[in-house]
Amino acid sequence: MSIVIDSVSKHFGDFAALDDVSLEVRDGSLTALLGPSGGGKSTLLRVIAGLETPDSGSVSIAGEDATEKPPQRRNVGFVFQHYAAFKHMTVAKNVAFGLTIRKRAKEEIEARVDELLKLVHLDGFAHRYPSQLSGGQRQRMALARALAVQPRVLLLDEPFGALDATVRKELRAWLRRLHDEVHVTTVFVTHDQEEAMEVAEQIVVLNDGKIEQVGTPQQLYEQPANEFVMGFVGPISELSGRSIRPHDVDILLEPHDGAAEAMIDRVIHLGFEVRVELTLGDGEKTWVQTTKAQADELELIEGEIVWLRPNAPSGAPVPA
Amino acid sequence: MRSKYVLRFLALGYLVLLLGIPVALVFWNAFQDGIGAAWAAVTTPEAQHAFYLTFVMVIVAVPLNTIFGVLAALAIVRQRFRGRALFNALVDLPFAVSPVVVGLALLLVYGRRDGWVGQWFADQGIQIIFSTPGMILATMFVSLPFVVRETIPVLREIGTEQEQAAATLGAGPFQTFFRVTLPAIRWGVAYGVVLTTARALGEFGAVSIVSGKLSGQTETATLFVENRFQRFDETGAYAASVVLALLALVTLLAMNVIKPKEAQA
Repeated sequence: MSIVIDSVSKHFGDFAALDDVSLEVRDGSLTALLGPSGGGKSTLLRVIAGLETPDSGSVSIAGEDATEKPPQRRNVGFVFQHYAAFKHMTVAKNVAFGLTIRKRAKEEIEARVDELLKLVHLDGFAHRYPSQLSGGQRQRMALARALAVQPRVLLLDEPFGALDATVRKELRAWLRRLHDEVHVTTVFVTHDQEEAMEVAEQIVVLNDGKIEQVGTPQQLYEQPANEFVMGFVGPISELSGRSIRPHDVDILLEPHDGAAEAMIDRVIHLGFEVRVELTLGDGEKTWVQTTKAQADELELIEGEIVWLRPNAPSGAPVPA
Repeated sequence: MRSKYVLRFLALGYLVLLLGIPVALVFWNAFQDGIGAAWAAVTTPEAQHAFYLTFVMVIVAVPLNTIFGVLAALAIVRQRFRGRALFNALVDLPFAVSPVVVGLALLLVYGRRDGWVGQWFADQGIQIIFSTPGMILATMFVSLPFVVRETIPVLREIGTEQEQAAATLGAGPFQTFFRVTLPAIRWGVAYGVVLTTARALGEFGAVSIVSGKLSGQTETATLFVENRFQRFDETGAYAASVVLALLALVTLLAMNVIKPKEAQA
């Protein structure tokens, strides 16, 4: 189901967490709210769920105005960063919670819980308590619990933020696959641009309570709307007073029109990637990202004079 | 190595001197004339009525203070309102004020001659002071803070995320409270209930003032003990003390027996 957010503002005291934010989330899409902490992304997610009431503006879910509805009547699934597991209930009871509240038949609940535990690979853990699960397992349980009531939208607040790097990577890929299977409109909050790029179809960049840009991962990377987005979604380097991606620069051994003279300070080999740090003619420092093959071919060494030229084929670099 | 034993010896010795020996002596004195005499002393009609009245105190004061305590803790932890700090401090008043003062205060409010509230009740034909209602009020007053104090820290610790999760899953405020909040804080509440019960069982000062001490009518178990003691009926006084001590002990044990089993969950 689609979500439409119309000019929503939310203040906490003097702090504007959301400042006149409007956004549309397509039915069945997988959207990431990306931004630095304090940017307003969690507040926006909580406004959609009804856990925060906006000062002004409206939220509608599946074409229905939900602004005044309490969370229990919005039919959204919500997953918290720290799982919010019901510690006194077994895994099965946790997952069944929403169905028990809805007074579904016992057999129906059992069947649905079984099915969901299989979906999140927790079959066999039904009678454990949350304290007996690992962080990743707890989060999958929380996800099954949110999905049990067949929510119209699934909202995840930094769902992998409390997990270690390996589990995080695993769960990202798994969330992606799950979305392909379940097709529920999904919005998740993250401050990790790699996570957003890897998982989401659409990314919303939020900063200072405002939306900076909405687009696919590719659009954000190749056509950033401004300096902030450019810096947030990928590495950034400066050349002749302009911001540019460090891999969008060619290193030339001969002078060339539009190429800037620079001296190599350091060549750092990172395996496939080679990072070259340089000082430009005007004393400014910069860096270029290239491949091992290229670096070998050019035989780059420290102290050598080279010429740098932007090679960006798409998306003009933004002025710094 | 040695300091470890010194510490244990000091802690235990302190406990034995202050608690163990006096309580043991109470038991010893109660059974000095044999179990039969002790049994006879606590089964006289006066004694039975005294224990019955103490039971009434507990059965009324504990549930009311439990409900109030949980609601008060919820208000203090989960809500922001003017005067919250004052309210929080007021809850501790029964800890700070001597029970005798509590008794006198109740006399002023509910007494038939001095208190206008008491007069109003008297006009309706309800006697509060020198009667059971007044004694219940006194017991409630002195045992009020326990559930609040034991519930507040656990309520703070569980936070609000579980409750929010319940709300997004479709639970209304009542369902959330009974299915999520209450089970999560139940050990704090239970401990508060145990302390409230123990306090209600043992209350003497405040109840003594508002009761009028009519033997067989407004005499609770603790007042019975005092009464017997002043009449040089040592067996009666100590035997009743033993029953009181055992009741308190059972309350404490009951909780310790059920708790570990479920606490693993």
